Amino acid sequence: MKTSAEALVDATPSIPPERDLKPRRATKDYAEARARTKTAFAKLAQLEPEDPDWAEIREQLVRLHLPLVEHLARRFSNRGEPFDDLAQVGTIGLLKAVDRFEPERGVEFSTYATPTIVGEIKRHFRDRGWSIRVPRRLQEMRLELSTVTADLTHELSRSPTVSELAGRLQVDQDSVLEGLESANAYSTLSLDAPDTRDELGGTMAEALRFDDDAFGHIEDRESLKPLLAKLTPRDRKILLLRFFHGMTQSQIAAEIGMSQMHVSRLLSRTLATLRQELLSD
Amino acid sequence: MTDVADPPVDVRDVAEIDMSVPAEGAYLSVLRTAAAGLAARLNFTLDDIEDLRIAVDEACSILLAQAIAGSRLTCAFHMTEDSVTVRASVRATSPRIPSRDGFSWTVLTALTSRVEFDIRSPDLLLIELSHQRPVVGLA
Repeated sequence: MKTSAEALVDATPSIPPERDLKPRRATKDYAEARARTKTAFAKLAQLEPEDPDWAEIREQLVRLHLPLVEHLARRFSNRGEPFDDLAQVGTIGLLKAVDRFEPERGVEFSTYATPTIVGEIKRHFRDRGWSIRVPRRLQEMRLELSTVTADLTHELSRSPTVSELAGRLQVDQDSVLEGLESANAYSTLSLDAPDTRDELGGTMAEALRFDDDAFGHIEDRESLKPLLAKLTPRDRKILLLRFFHGMTQSQIAAEIGMSQMHVSRLLSRTLATLRQELLSD
Repeated sequence: MTDVADPPVDVRDVAEIDMSVPAEGAYLSVLRTAAAGLAARLNFTLDDIEDLRIAVDEACSILLAQAIAGSRLTCAFHMTEDSVTVRASVRATSPRIPSRDGFSWTVLTALTSRVEFDIRSPDLLLIELSHQRPVVGLA
């Protein structure tokens, strides 16, 4: 996927992603590619899908815009799915965009295609974000729970109970419990988990300053430290806040800006990792 | 997970629930889920439910690391109106109690109201942890 697309980039002037439009190199190529796109769509409109030329022009349009797909796929490539897979589903979005595009509306094709491609990539994450295939009903319950938990935590100034959640959602408690269970099956690969490796820079330094105090009494701190160093800043921060600063999961959720369920999942995962390595000594 | 509604159970009338699973990691989820379900029915908050779930996971994992291969992990849940006590044990060849100053113990004490390890017989390692529901409602 990537290699064929790269070859094409070399072979033909293609539409560079809008953001990357630097006057120095691209203007001429871009104008050319845009003109080619326009011509191709005009031709396509005159042909019937049965015409052999129709398929060929459609193919050309797709090739011309593969770099756009790759650019968009790259924006999602730090979230645990292989880049090639993302580019592939993005290409499906591109195909849909080519087939639905109406040039007479006067919108640039790349402008029109971008949300379709992104939509397809996001859908891939939605479908793949479940380590166990979870019915859509439960996925929806999880999302609702996440929202309502945040609302109620705010209203009550504490974490809600299952019966309070059930009351607000107007479902029975068993449904809430099912939703919570399914949340635990939800893998960390998720769109509500943006890549925060850089974002926590400042606060992390702050959190780590407490390290020596926090771990002072921990006997196995020397074996723990290198393991902590291997965690992502976000996971390490959550761990510190929960176990060494005595914050609750809801407080951490508010501090970091994610759902309480997500904090719980990340904590479980981090502990499992540390345990495995500490016990293997 | 069935569409047939379970009859309502007042867990406060059920003092003890005993479970026994193979001493293998794959069965931990059964115990975690049981703990979370029981805590939910005692009207614990989500924070407390998830803490208990993680505590059971941590505690039982410590036990499993020492368990004799092919043995069983037994787990008893005792409920009162506002607390869940989990007592889990495994057979181990030479049971060791984790250090009170170790990371695991720190984690467990942060997650529970009380945690104790005990060696009941030369080959029985036991952990007991309780989670007390904090007084809520006067926010």
